[in-house]
Amino acid sequence: MKTTTARRQGGSAPRSRAGIHPPPARKRHQASGSPVRILTAVPICDGHDSAINTINLELIHHGIEVIYLGYHRSARDIARAAIQEDARAIGISSYNGGHVEFFGEVIEFLKKNGAGDIGVFGGGGGTITPADARLLAKKGVDRIFSAGTRLAEIVEFVKTRYGAPGIPTASRTTILTDRRLAKLLTVAELNVRGSRFEVRGSAKPSRVVGITGPGGAGKTTLIDELAMRFLRSDPKARVAILSHDPSLAGQGALLGDRATMIYSQDDRVFMRSLATRGQAGGLSPATKRCLQVLKPSGFDLVLVETVGIGQEAMPFGRELINQTVLVMSPDYGSRLQLQKIVMLQEADVVVVNKSDLAGAKTAAAEIEQYLVLNHRGQKLISTVAKRHRDPGVDELFRWLGS
Amino acid sequence: MSALAEVTRAVEDYNRFVEEQVGRARTDGQFREQMLNRWRAGCAGVGIVTTPTGLKLPRLALPQTDEPGEIARYLFGEGLPGEFPFMNAAYRQMYLQVAGVAAGPNRKSPIGNVESEEPTRLFAGLGVAEDTNQRFHYLTRQQRSIRLSTAFDGPTLYGLDSDTDGVFGKIGEGGVAIDMVEDMERLYAGFPLGDEHFSVSMTINGPAPIILAMYVAAAKRRFGPEIVSKLRGTVQGDILKEVQAQNEIIFPIEASLRFLTDMVEFTTTHMPRWYPISISGYHIAEAGATPVQQAAYTLANGFTYAELFRERGLEVNRFGPRLSFFLDCGLDIEYLALARVCRKLWAVGMRDVFGANAPAQLFKLHTQTSGRSLIAQEFKGNLTRTAVELMLAYINATNSCHSNSADEPFTTPSEEYVRLAAQAQAVLLEETGLFQFMMNTLGGSPGMKIVEQTVEEGVLSEFRAIDRLGGVLAAIEHRYQRSQIQAAAHRYEQQINNGVRRIIGLNRYRDAADTRPALSVVRTPRRQKRLQIDRLEKFKRNHRAEAGRALEALAQTVESGGNVFAELVRTVEHCSLGQITARLHELVGHYRPAI
Repeated sequence: MKTTTARRQGGSAPRSRAGIHPPPARKRHQASGSPVRILTAVPICDGHDSAINTINLELIHHGIEVIYLGYHRSARDIARAAIQEDARAIGISSYNGGHVEFFGEVIEFLKKNGAGDIGVFGGGGGTITPADARLLAKKGVDRIFSAGTRLAEIVEFVKTRYGAPGIPTASRTTILTDRRLAKLLTVAELNVRGSRFEVRGSAKPSRVVGITGPGGAGKTTLIDELAMRFLRSDPKARVAILSHDPSLAGQGALLGDRATMIYSQDDRVFMRSLATRGQAGGLSPATKRCLQVLKPSGFDLVLVETVGIGQEAMPFGRELINQTVLVMSPDYGSRLQLQKIVMLQEADVVVVNKSDLAGAKTAAAEIEQYLVLNHRGQKLISTVAKRHRDPGVDELFRWLGS
Repeated sequence: MSALAEVTRAVEDYNRFVEEQVGRARTDGQFREQMLNRWRAGCAGVGIVTTPTGLKLPRLALPQTDEPGEIARYLFGEGLPGEFPFMNAAYRQMYLQVAGVAAGPNRKSPIGNVESEEPTRLFAGLGVAEDTNQRFHYLTRQQRSIRLSTAFDGPTLYGLDSDTDGVFGKIGEGGVAIDMVEDMERLYAGFPLGDEHFSVSMTINGPAPIILAMYVAAAKRRFGPEIVSKLRGTVQGDILKEVQAQNEIIFPIEASLRFLTDMVEFTTTHMPRWYPISISGYHIAEAGATPVQQAAYTLANGFTYAELFRERGLEVNRFGPRLSFFLDCGLDIEYLALARVCRKLWAVGMRDVFGANAPAQLFKLHTQTSGRSLIAQEFKGNLTRTAVELMLAYINATNSCHSNSADEPFTTPSEEYVRLAAQAQAVLLEETGLFQFMMNTLGGSPGMKIVEQTVEEGVLSEFRAIDRLGGVLAAIEHRYQRSQIQAAAHRYEQQINNGVRRIIGLNRYRDAADTRPALSVVRTPRRQKRLQIDRLEKFKRNHRAEAGRALEALAQTVESGGNVFAELVRTVEHCSLGQITARLHELVGHYRPAI
């Protein structure tokens, strides 16, 4: 799961020369109205996610976008993710002891990668004593919430401490570190007036694969498995993942795709999570701009995952996406008739995932017939993404590489 | 139809059957006589005990009725202690003081003279193996029987070696660090592992087969191979609840279940006194589930395991008696009868769906008081909370119990509070008159009956919901249990925040000052952590030659479908926990976390 090859190079983004044109600092921009983005996680060897789940829910209901990394995550994974996501702060919920070392490690990683401005706060019920909390404050932790803290107090803290609109800046260094790429993406996401988003790299444009399909079909698992195969097939390969999750109406969002990923917690993977922020169709208003940044940044592969959506329309335009994959589960029949699935006409590959379920063969046969009538040479692949070394995922991987 | 649907129907059928018997007892003269005779014989056979104040009491408290319908309702609906459907107790006699008891008029009383077992379990785990070993010896110096319950540190729970990058701070925190078979030898050094008054319990799940294999190997090193059949204890090994609540699973579900089944197959054959799985609701409840959800998911998981073991070809009457359960006991009113309902539903399901005989119908229960109900503010109030929970647990005739230390919300329990917690149990069982003289003293109040019915309905309705999703495993894929538990947890927090749920010292009668004492917190010193790593490195050096071969033999067993547990007992001689899990991950992958 962990690689150390990229450690000296400062992250997953390849070294390529990149240019960005940030606005003059005094110029007004749109950042002030955009939601606060923070990342939350539970430390390594700790599965206590009950408190953080509750806090995540409370935060997103108060307009905050929470990128949730899940439990049993190393300090390195947490710091890397926060940098890539350009989160304003990291919230760590620790119940299994060793917190003094752990918080310290996270802060060290951040500083080492020039991201010391990312705030760190946390809690651990009563397991973190007042003396520990004082020690952690010295190490640079902004706040430790003790047992019995009201949820409202945490929300208030996050909003006031990390909610002040920052001016997104992207330094003019030419080494494209994770940190810098993340800042470029923030500029792109906020659509800062006066900025252009192209990255002038010497690298050839990445292949971009768009992956869509209904919720629960297994898109995230499939992407993680593909990323793993990609990393293993080439010890230098670098992957970018642009993932989307829905915003609650007028509120925050829980960006949780990272939490279910195993192999993508890797220095050679750059992942960014976007909230849809009110846009229908499975992508964010900023998707296109973000792809304009990612595509020339020297990745070997860029995977774009949409929100789990209905199948009435293809979310991707052709200009930035090289291939499109529609992921379905075999139980579509009860919910949709194939004829209505516009994406079946458009997708380059149709994946019937969870093909270990009853009825999967029938489903695959039906879809096959449909695709044949399309006369577009579309590929059908049956997978069980959750299965280790699944031959279907191998086939999809080979096809994407061809 | 999933087993769960069959169980639901069996319970409904059984409830109808009970009502029919009630009606019959009231209308059918011959049946009525039969009931009354059985009742009189039961009452007459009960021994008499004399209390220290000179009071003479029956050994068993029975409802005062001579109405045949009510008698039938009692005998069939809840059963005498130790009789189907075991609502009152799994055994005829529990907690009763044996010494100094006046003999009853009838020496062959149905209550018998079973020697009662000490129900107190002593949970510990900190630092390196010797630290925990010392704690065990300290805790057990005055115990009649030795029942050790072991907590492991985070790296061990996740199958990682202590020298793994980034886990240094976690070594020996919250539990003992175990990396290899030598650690296991040190952990239980000085204890008579094969003795019938000795048992260990190991709270570990994802890597449970590897850890138990280390225990078996360590026991063999000390006592020779013949010790294996005498080993007595429990390993938690409950994968399903990990996926639903506790998140300490490391291999994908299917592989985890296969390793578990291998272990169950091995222990039922070679370790007849071992409990290879403790089907646990505790962590489900601690993660936020309501008491009904706790009972429902735990039972449903239990029936799923039974189905799985049956599919493997294991005989229900062999593995059934080796299943045990572990529930949380908190302060909600459901706990007045939760375990009683569980015993009944398990017995009916096992008998009528799985065809189990009496020993395989028993829902043998270990209870732990609720950790979640304890708070850090004015923490000595936790002594009261735990005492009330203990009382509820014993009213529910738990077979064994662990009481939490009052200082647990903010630290690894200190010796002072561990001792107070254990004493609370002794006070309740040995000092008060509530449990030592009569069986069932507090059973069967009108309120308890109402709670029983309501809880049972709630559990059956959860069974139906899970069945509609296709059974436990399919429901897991839908994140059903997780999302239900998370919703309940969120509701609980909101209730604390808005005052619907009153917590004294937290949102009611709160002392303005934080009364937490300046603690001398139990932490594992850096030198102990270093020591653990040094030992591990030495172990790896010493076994470098054999480790590769041992791992390959293990891999072959995994690939060929052999019994992985039997092989693990050999692998652990040369390989560390982390080396083994790493090889297994290559073969079967990683568990993909759910949120």
